[in-house]
Amino acid sequence: MKAWVTTWTRLSETNNSKLQKSITTGTRRSLYNMAIFGLWVINKAGGLVYQRNFADGLAQLTSNEYLVLAGTLHGIHAITSRLSPMGSSSGAQVIEGETFKITILLTATGTKFVLLTSLTDTSADAILQKVYEIYADAVMKNPFHTPEMPIRSEGFDTRITALIGNGLGA
Amino acid sequence: MDRVLRNSSTLTRTMTIHSLYIYDRHCICIYYQDWHRTRRPKPAVEGGILPAVSQAVAPPSTLATTSGQASGFTSPRDTLSSGSGIVVAVNDMSAQSPMTPLLQTPAPPIALSSTGLAFDEEAKLVYGVILSLRNMIKKLSGRDEQFVNYRTSAYKLHLYETPSGYKFVMLSDPNTDSLRFVLRQIYVGPFLEYVVRNPLVKMDSREHGIDNEYFRASIDRLVRGLSVFP
Repeated sequence: MKAWVTTWTRLSETNNSKLQKSITTGTRRSLYNMAIFGLWVINKAGGLVYQRNFADGLAQLTSNEYLVLAGTLHGIHAITSRLSPMGSSSGAQVIEGETFKITILLTATGTKFVLLTSLTDTSADAILQKVYEIYADAVMKNPFHTPEMPIRSEGFDTRITALIGNGLGA
Repeated sequence: MDRVLRNSSTLTRTMTIHSLYIYDRHCICIYYQDWHRTRRPKPAVEGGILPAVSQAVAPPSTLATTSGQASGFTSPRDTLSSGSGIVVAVNDMSAQSPMTPLLQTPAPPIALSSTGLAFDEEAKLVYGVILSLRNMIKKLSGRDEQFVNYRTSAYKLHLYETPSGYKFVMLSDPNTDSLRFVLRQIYVGPFLEYVVRNPLVKMDSREHGIDNEYFRASIDRLVRGLSVFP
């Protein structure tokens, strides 16, 4: 079983022509005011299935606290679509504080990709789209992954690292 | 790049402000006003909102009963009723007719639809969302950082909170920049002038909203004068 997983991971790593493209996107980020603090993946039931921190700047919370926040975000996202004063609305797409913002990508299947970045960051949407691609390749195509369960895939981790690095683009 | 695109689109699109909610530190909605809003809430249920929050969303039965009791000298406020030719300084849900000279009555929007929610439910949801987001931002940042706004495909919600716990919430077009300064202007302008400095308004009472004709007209002028307002 273990051997199968390793072989599969290696196989999925070989067709990584996209990887090179991702790295170039990463290096374009300015070192000073653009930072990526964290990435979350929330399943359709509101459970946090992946959480990773990159650049420093936000509080370091326990995994339990992240679980609670993800659940809250899931609920808020549903409510915000009902409060629209004009026609039908999506849920919240960008939430801003004073120094950072939360960008949310909702996929057709209900999975949410959430990126925590600095306010000035302009690449959040593009990065989330890439994360979605990587998720499809390295998680959904992984025969050993159980849907809606926490993501434990080395391939996914490596490719996210290649995309985001330390969150500062250095 | 994204920024440039968004800026150019703001020039061509007409932007607007949809609604304003004010909450006090007891989580109670004490004022509501709206402008171009095509999707409206149903009127609040009996007892769902305080008196003097907004005529537009007040429970229909309350309006009917209280307007019947508008005569008499029982309340000192009645000496200022609009029937006497003097403009009322405070709205007790009773004496105000919707066609007061100070207020421009908005043209009825073309296609009105309902959100399916009663106003009191909607006001609670708005409060719940801003409270949760506020806590989430504080928790994530690990410092005393404020939640500022969020954006969906159809609208953008802005929050300004005063040190005394009053929360000013504004819903606008999704492409507007931050409207925090407008909310602050409402606070230092109309709010201080016609609510805080108005001895007839019982602030922090948990029993009355703060709606009065001058306050409403003053906010209306301020909002209509904004460059984002078409």
